[in-house]
Amino acid sequence: MSRNTRILMSVIYWAFVVYLFVPLVLMVTMGFKDSKFIGFPIRGWTLDWYSEIFRSAEVLGAFGYTMAIALSTTFLSLVIGTWIAAFLGPHKFRGKLLVFALACMPAVIPGIISAISLRIYIQFLQIDTGMAAIILGHTIHNVPFVALVVMARLATLPKSHIEAARDLGADQLVAFSRVTLPYLKPALIGAGVFCMLLSFDDFVRSFFLGSYQPTLPVLIFAKLRSGMSPEINAISTVVLVITAILGIWAERSMRRMNKGTSV
Amino acid sequence: MIQTDTQRADERDTVPLSTRRSFWGAVMANGAYGSATGLLFKSQRRQFLLLASVPILWILFANVGPILQMVRISFLDSYPPMAGYQPQLTLSNWNNFFAESIFIVPYFRTLAYSVVFTVATLIITYPVAYFLAKHVKRSNQLLFLLLLLIPFWVGEIVRTYAIMILLGNNGAVNLVLKSLGLIERPIPFMYTSFSLGVGIVYLTALYMLLPLYSALEKIPNTYLEAAADLGAGAWTRFRRVTLPLSKEGIASGCTLVFLISTGYYAAPVLLGGPSTTVFAETIAGFFHVAGDQWPTGAAFSTIMLISALAITGVFLKLMGRSGRGLMQ
Repeated sequence: MSRNTRILMSVIYWAFVVYLFVPLVLMVTMGFKDSKFIGFPIRGWTLDWYSEIFRSAEVLGAFGYTMAIALSTTFLSLVIGTWIAAFLGPHKFRGKLLVFALACMPAVIPGIISAISLRIYIQFLQIDTGMAAIILGHTIHNVPFVALVVMARLATLPKSHIEAARDLGADQLVAFSRVTLPYLKPALIGAGVFCMLLSFDDFVRSFFLGSYQPTLPVLIFAKLRSGMSPEINAISTVVLVITAILGIWAERSMRRMNKGTSV
Repeated sequence: MIQTDTQRADERDTVPLSTRRSFWGAVMANGAYGSATGLLFKSQRRQFLLLASVPILWILFANVGPILQMVRISFLDSYPPMAGYQPQLTLSNWNNFFAESIFIVPYFRTLAYSVVFTVATLIITYPVAYFLAKHVKRSNQLLFLLLLLIPFWVGEIVRTYAIMILLGNNGAVNLVLKSLGLIERPIPFMYTSFSLGVGIVYLTALYMLLPLYSALEKIPNTYLEAAADLGAGAWTRFRRVTLPLSKEGIASGCTLVFLISTGYYAAPVLLGGPSTTVFAETIAGFFHVAGDQWPTGAAFSTIMLISALAITGVFLKLMGRSGRGLMQ
């Protein structure tokens, strides 16, 4: 590869990084602007928007609501996703590809169609819009991601470990709890944090399945519709910081898992 | 007290050596646990059914159920059900689609946008993925990749808002252009297909980048060296070696980005204008209004789903592979 192409490539890469970061940096910056008006020029700085949102019952309520939904969703997704992985991973049976495709389907269905079909479904199941409906919707969406991550990890578990446990007197359940689960731990942590992220950031399902109490993304959307304001920037920045922390955490545990696979 | 202690001692003697004194040993020694698991794990077949039950039921309930309901509702003349009225089967919801251009135009616009945005994402991210996979030292690749990942953890709404600030009349782009003396009045980027495109590419780039990166990373450098030794120039090496070997990544990436970009709702609402209404907004409109609009919305959703899946199906067929590797 010639020197020029190499330089050109690195320029494109860094330009892409700039494209990804500049909008977010701008958004964070505007949250400290001492004016109600979003945009340049910036004449003064303030922390008022932050002190305002940390005192706002609306924002704090939405935050707690979003967190509760994310935690419940994560727990349910981990249990169901791991179960699906334990079933689909090691077993061979007729129609496995179809079951696998159906299991992955919610992850690739376009967002609006997923939201609309779930809105119809909760009506059919007589579940009211609100927390339970959102948790169901998010769990349905997140389970495939957990199943895929856990399946990938499960594929690297040497069969001999389970056989050894069985030979030493453990039955299937004990072997699963004491050998398989600890082996899956990094995958479960990674997938769990990823679920938190997906749920915390989800807009379209929360929007169509929610009732009067908004989640944070829905609240931001509602505020945006009535105009841009630095208050939204402050809320968004808080969301950004939380998601970045969660994301780095997920990334680290996934990387540790990949390191540990070469057993 | 004394009695229970002796009982425990008795029990301990009957328990096999291997399970003695541990929590799990105690669990396994428990009579109720033993009979329950004995019943459940008795045969291979029973174990398999036990393991299969929850996944199969969940997939039917959670993944298949909503789609089937949506399709069913699309054939009803009223939904949600009203007291004392038995909904009749009808095709009129599906006919609505062909009856009015205000429905057909957003539909085709969505498909056209999604194709254009997918191609744009591919063109933008391919060099980035190539640089990462082939020019960055392997030990640094994760760090460089992480730098790209961080913005994608931020949710759809926050990133859409960030693009609004970037492209607004008093936004950064206009500020830069103005200070360079290129323009006098701000260019109205917002609420056009341009702002929508910038937003969608911003939202979806990762779904293209990751499959491309993992495909490109797998191409052995020796192949490229061999091609160079045989006299192939940079362009020929790219066209005859790199491109064909990254086909799988291109196929997965394009499929994901296409499917995802047809489904965005908030981004078109916030970034687009009246001339860029996409089908997601049309569909959503039927659910904001109360009453008998739901079946039409359901029919339109079904049309969208079938179209999106059909297009990706044809695309994957053209790329010469089954959908098997889609989720890798």
